[in-house]
Amino acid sequence: MLHVRLHPHPRRAFALLPFAVMALAVAGCGATASRPPASGGRISVVGAESQYANVLAQVGGRYVATTAILRNPAVDPHTFEVSPSVARTIAGARLIVQNGLGYDAFMTQLEAASPAPGRRVIDVQRLLGLPAATPNPHLWYNPRAVADVAAAVARDLGRLAPAHARYFRAREARFRRALAPVFAALSAFRRAHAGVPVASTEPVANDLLRAAGVRNLTPWNLQADLMNGVDPAPQDLTTEDRIIQTRRIRAIVYNRQVTDTVTQSFLRAAAARHIPEVAVYETMPQGYDYQSWMLAELAALDRAVSTGRSTTSLAR
Amino acid sequence: MGAVLRAIVEPGFFASPVVRAAVELGGAVTVVAALVGVFTVLRGQSFAAEAVGDIGASGGSSAFLVGAGPLAGFVAFSAAAATVLELIGVQRARGRDVATGIVLGLGFGLTALFLYLASSRESASGATATILFGSIFAIPATALPLVLLLGGTAVLLLAVIYRPLLLVSISPELAAARGISARLVGFAYLLALATAVALAAETIGAILSTALVVGPAASALRLTSRPARALLAAALIGLACTWGGLLLAWDSYYWPPLHHGWPASFFIVALVVLSYLLAGAWTHRPGRGR
Repeated sequence: MLHVRLHPHPRRAFALLPFAVMALAVAGCGATASRPPASGGRISVVGAESQYANVLAQVGGRYVATTAILRNPAVDPHTFEVSPSVARTIAGARLIVQNGLGYDAFMTQLEAASPAPGRRVIDVQRLLGLPAATPNPHLWYNPRAVADVAAAVARDLGRLAPAHARYFRAREARFRRALAPVFAALSAFRRAHAGVPVASTEPVANDLLRAAGVRNLTPWNLQADLMNGVDPAPQDLTTEDRIIQTRRIRAIVYNRQVTDTVTQSFLRAAAARHIPEVAVYETMPQGYDYQSWMLAELAALDRAVSTGRSTTSLAR
Repeated sequence: MGAVLRAIVEPGFFASPVVRAAVELGGAVTVVAALVGVFTVLRGQSFAAEAVGDIGASGGSSAFLVGAGPLAGFVAFSAAAATVLELIGVQRARGRDVATGIVLGLGFGLTALFLYLASSRESASGATATILFGSIFAIPATALPLVLLLGGTAVLLLAVIYRPLLLVSISPELAAARGISARLVGFAYLLALATAVALAAETIGAILSTALVVGPAASALRLTSRPARALLAAALIGLACTWGGLLLAWDSYYWPPLHHGWPASFFIVALVVLSYLLAGAWTHRPGRGR
C-alpha cells in the first residue's frame, strides 16, 4: 500500500480522501524524494524531514548517504503524498529519523510494509519521551531536542558501523559546538526582549519562541485550527483581531508554508498597523543547515522586534 | 429573563467585528439565495442547483491555484456550469437528470484535481475545508462590496424576468402560447441561480450551498403558494437560519465537552432542515383541511 498520506489531523485526512487516487496519476509532486538509495559502501540514511536529514548528514559525514523525504519548503507538509520512490528509499534505509506525533505517520506505515532486520529508527517523539497527546508536533524548533537527536544518531551509526564509531562521536561533538551560537542568540534575545508579545498563525515555531522568552498572545485553539485546516471559532478570530488592531504585539510570526484567506487577512491587518511580520518555515529552506536556519529565524525575529522590519523569506 | 437572554446572546457576540462581518455578508447572501431558490423549487431544479454548486467548487479551488480569492472562481465556474447545463438540455425533463448528473460528477472531479495541485504546489492547505464546507467567520469584511454587487445583479436579473419566468415555471404551455421563449428565460434564470449558488458556496461551502438556496424557499412554499409572499417568507426564513446559525456557532464555543466551537455551516444547514420540518408541521396542523 503506497497510498499513504501524511495526516496528523483526522479532519484534514478525511477531506483529502478523494484525492488519494490522484497521487500516483499526477507524478512529480514537489516534495517527494527522487534520489536513489545510496551505494558505494556508504550507509543509507533517511530523514523524514529535511531538517532531520541535515542532522544525519552532519553527524554521519562521509560515511552516510542521506535522503530527505519532506524537503520542499514551498508546500505544506501536511498535504504530502507518498510516491513509490519514497517507499523504495525507505525500504533501503539502514537508519531513519522521523518526527513522530502523527506528523509523519506515513513513515511508520512504509517501514512496516518493508521490514528490514538491521534497520534502526529514531522516532524523535519517543526519544524525547513525549506523550502522544503532545499538541505541538514541530519538535525540531527546540534546539535542545535536536541536540538529543544528534546524540542518538551518533550512537546508532556507531552500532551500524562500529569501525567508525569514534568518527561519528567527533562529528556529533562538532554538531553541538555549531549549535552553541543558537543558544547564545536565544539568551541574548531573552536578555534584550524578555516577555515581548507576538501573535502567530500556527504553532510551528512555538518552541523556539518560548526558548527566546517570547509571549505568543494568539489563542492556542486558533493556532491549532489553522494548522489543521479546520474552521476557526469566531471568538478566537476576534481575539486575534483585537491583539492586532490594538497593536498589543510587536511582531506577527506566520508559517510561510501554510497561508490561506484567514492568515492573509491577519497579515494585511498587521501591515496596516505597521506591525512587522516574521516568516518561519516548517521545512528547512534550501541553502541552510539546521544551525544557520535557526539563527536566521532568530535574526528575523530580532530584526522585527528591534527595528520593526519584516522578513518574508529566508531564500538566499 | 435578562440573565437567560445574556446566556443565549452573550454580549461579546455583538461587539465582535468578526461576527458583524459574518452577519452582514451571510445576510446578503441568504436573501439572494432565498429569492432565487423560490424559482429553483418551483421549477424542480434543486438537483441542477447542486450540480452548479459542485462545478463552482472546482472554480473556487482553481482560484487557489492562481492565487485569487475563491469567490471569483465560484462565480465564473458556476456561470459556466449553468451554460453547459443549458446546452446539454436541462430544459427537457428527460434530459435534465442525466445532464445534471454528468455535470455534477465533472464538478467534483475538477475540484479534486485543482485542490490537489494547489496543495502540492502552493501552501493552500486550508483550501479543502474552506471550499467544501465554508468558513463564514473567516471571510474578511472587505469582501462585502463584491458580494453585494453580485447579489444585486442576480436579484435585478430575477426582477427583469420575473413575470415570464413565473409563467414558464408554472404553465409552460400558456407561456408558449404567449410567445415567451422558455429557453431564453430558463437560461437567464440559470445565470441568476449560478450567482446565488456561488455566493452561498463562499458562505457555507460548495457542498452545502444548495441547502441555502433550496431549503428556505421550500419551507416558504410549504407555507404559501402566492409567489410574492413566498419570496418574502423565503428571505425571512433564510435570515433566521443564517443568523441563528451564527449565534449558535458562537454559543457552541462555551459548550462542554470540547469548549471549542462547532462550524457555523453545520448550524445553518441544521436550522434550514428544521425550518422545512416545522413548515410541514404548520401546514398539516390539525384543524386545517389539507
